[in-house]
Amino acid sequence: MQALGLDVLFKGSNLLRLLGGLGKALEISLIAVALSLILGVLFGVLMTFRNPVIRALSRIYLEIVRIMPQMVLLFLVFFGTTRVFGWDLNAEAASVIVFAFWGTAEMGDLVRGAIISVPKHQYESAFALGMTKSQTYFTIIIPQAIRQLIPLSINLITRMIKTTSLVMMIGVVEVLKVSQQIIEANRMTSPNAAFGIYLTVFVLYFIACWPFSILAKHLERKWSN
Amino acid sequence: MKKSIFVKALAILTATVLLIASFAGCAGNESGASNSTASTADKADSSTADVVYRTLDEIKSSGKIKIGVFSDKNPFGYVDENGKYQGYDVYFANRLVKDLGVDVEFVSTEAASRVEFLETGKVDIVLANFTVTDERAEKVDFALPYMNVALGVVSPDSRVIKSLDELKANDEVIVITGTTAETYLTEKYPNIKLQKYDTYANAKTALENGQAAAWANDNTEVIAYALQNKGYTVGIPELGSKDTIAPAVSKGNKTLLDWINSEIKTLGKENFFHADYEATLTGTYGKDYEEKLVVEGGKVN
Amino acid sequence: MANTLLKIENLTKSYDGNVILKDFNLSVRKGEVIVIIGPSGCGKSTLLRCINGLEAIQSGVIKLDDEIIDSKSKTITKLRQRVGMVFQSYDLFPHKTVLQNIILAPTLVQKRDKKEVAAEAEQLLDKVGLSDKKDSYPRQLSGGQKQRVAIVRALCMHPEVMLFDEVTAALDPEMVREVLDTMLELARQGSTMLIVTHEMEFAKAVSDRVIFLDNGEIIEEGAPQSFFNHPKTERAQKFLHTFEFEHIK
Repeated sequence: MQALGLDVLFKGSNLLRLLGGLGKALEISLIAVALSLILGVLFGVLMTFRNPVIRALSRIYLEIVRIMPQMVLLFLVFFGTTRVFGWDLNAEAASVIVFAFWGTAEMGDLVRGAIISVPKHQYESAFALGMTKSQTYFTIIIPQAIRQLIPLSINLITRMIKTTSLVMMIGVVEVLKVSQQIIEANRMTSPNAAFGIYLTVFVLYFIACWPFSILAKHLERKWSN
Repeated sequence: MKKSIFVKALAILTATVLLIASFAGCAGNESGASNSTASTADKADSSTADVVYRTLDEIKSSGKIKIGVFSDKNPFGYVDENGKYQGYDVYFANRLVKDLGVDVEFVSTEAASRVEFLETGKVDIVLANFTVTDERAEKVDFALPYMNVALGVVSPDSRVIKSLDELKANDEVIVITGTTAETYLTEKYPNIKLQKYDTYANAKTALENGQAAAWANDNTEVIAYALQNKGYTVGIPELGSKDTIAPAVSKGNKTLLDWINSEIKTLGKENFFHADYEATLTGTYGKDYEEKLVVEGGKVN
Repeated sequence: MANTLLKIENLTKSYDGNVILKDFNLSVRKGEVIVIIGPSGCGKSTLLRCINGLEAIQSGVIKLDDEIIDSKSKTITKLRQRVGMVFQSYDLFPHKTVLQNIILAPTLVQKRDKKEVAAEAEQLLDKVGLSDKKDSYPRQLSGGQKQRVAIVRALCMHPEVMLFDEVTAALDPEMVREVLDTMLELARQGSTMLIVTHEMEFAKAVSDRVIFLDNGEIIEEGAPQSFFNHPKTERAQKFLHTFEFEHIK
């Protein structure tokens, strides 16, 4: 225990604080994930349209998200909105916006790929049954695309959960920040604490992401019989 | 018909997304250019147009003050095992809060976001080991100092370096990339060979392996290092220009600034910062450096 | 003629400058079963796709009763409900069960009562011998079973015309029969059908009229007996000959 610095974990309310930090990270990332999934599907559908204006605009959006580090986006949304519009967004809201902005783009790109991979005759047999374009999309194409998306979007979701550690830059204290606080507060008394604390954080992230893998496996199994 | 509504909904959605995106684009320009003096001037104009900060009276009547502190920089600002903020900066912050008669919300800040927090009025005061520099003073207003910082040089007891002149032609000095020490030595002592490391841990290993004659860093860092590691001595405790640490408020927040300044002067009468040092820093730096580090009553010796 | 259901006049269809159908004319009476044969690439499939509005046409008119079928018009989904189509590729929706595949369009597009449609679907499935498969997913079915479900799915929309586009071409030989039997039964019940096929014996048995298409034009048409036994044109003779073999022993 001592060697791993795990004793530090049980000092005072340290463990509870770590769990609280995990809760904060999950709160932000899961709201952002939910928004990204919904908006990402719509954005993905939009990207499959042949309209050149829509294509150019979505291209620009995608490129902005790819080029801009999430850290820069966080600063822009949290501090930038105050500078430009005088809005006083709280740090959690700013974080959710940034991660949803990022997630929507990535999810949209995944959805676009999945939609394109649905065979053409699926559209045609839906049209031949008298279905409209939107009926075809929502009942035939998107449900099939979503099935293909599951593994990819699980990857995106877990990446989003892990990337939330950046929100410490705008003052949100999430699990990684709490772990740094604990390590620093004990750097004189338990110089080895870093190992034990980071190990704990690893386990916590694992516990947070594990249900998504389980869910993905469950859905894949359910849809494959 | 349905189809066109669907298309419209999607179009509105993208438009919104892109609006945010394009805003992000222009805001990006602004903060991206914030290092140049020209745009700093522009910003000063705009910030007088719409005030971002809260005056002393507004803070008092709201009953709560927001103070930006470090949450993982022991012993200046950190969080103890009970989740309470502690440290030299926090000790002072708690006194300010008490004398102001309000509640406090500590906001965990990072070195890179301290200026932004003040420029946007998201905190009222920053008390986060904030070194006063000319560049920063253009963007925020510093109050009177409450601590000294300088560079320091630590070296092995076998050959304590007491002056940079003692270094021989093939002696190398360790610095951490991006620190004041690196800038200072590169500028003032271009002949000294520097060994640069990205992290504290790597610099430490290099010194312990005898790869260099000495290690230059903030004096608080090298002093703490020498106290924790037997066989090393801070031969040069103060090097280069002496800088100070001070509270900072949003540019133009005169009422709050004046109040903090008068508070610092008043606290000097009771030797408050010495008490602060003894409560929070002796564990790390020992009693010997108290007079060197503490600035009492805002007066630098 | 009073009982003409489908009328195609001067239809021209081309892809990137290649003419697929040239000045094509055809009228189909109610209850008539027409088999369209011809070498691959002759335009047979394209013709069916034009009738269902899946392809835009360059000139000419396709009319169902008095309504013009125009792939770009807003009423096309209404018209498609009156024209059932079964494709060569297995086109069931893989994420829905057999029953869900069948009742989706009647409930979603025609807003019919779900219970009523489901009852009808089960009845039709029973007729094609697949009532025990109603809760299966398409991937659990054989090719022949999939095509029979696809036929039931189209029928459940109560179409006035059924289009069959080489529905047995991708099937293993032992499964062809079950699908053709289903189509024969439909013909017997008096459905109006346009069938593109390479099954010549089936064509002979099922059709009222055979149309031989080559290079986008009708080369020959007539009653099945006379067409298959005494083709008049050289091209039809040559085409039919490809399905025959000389005895070599």
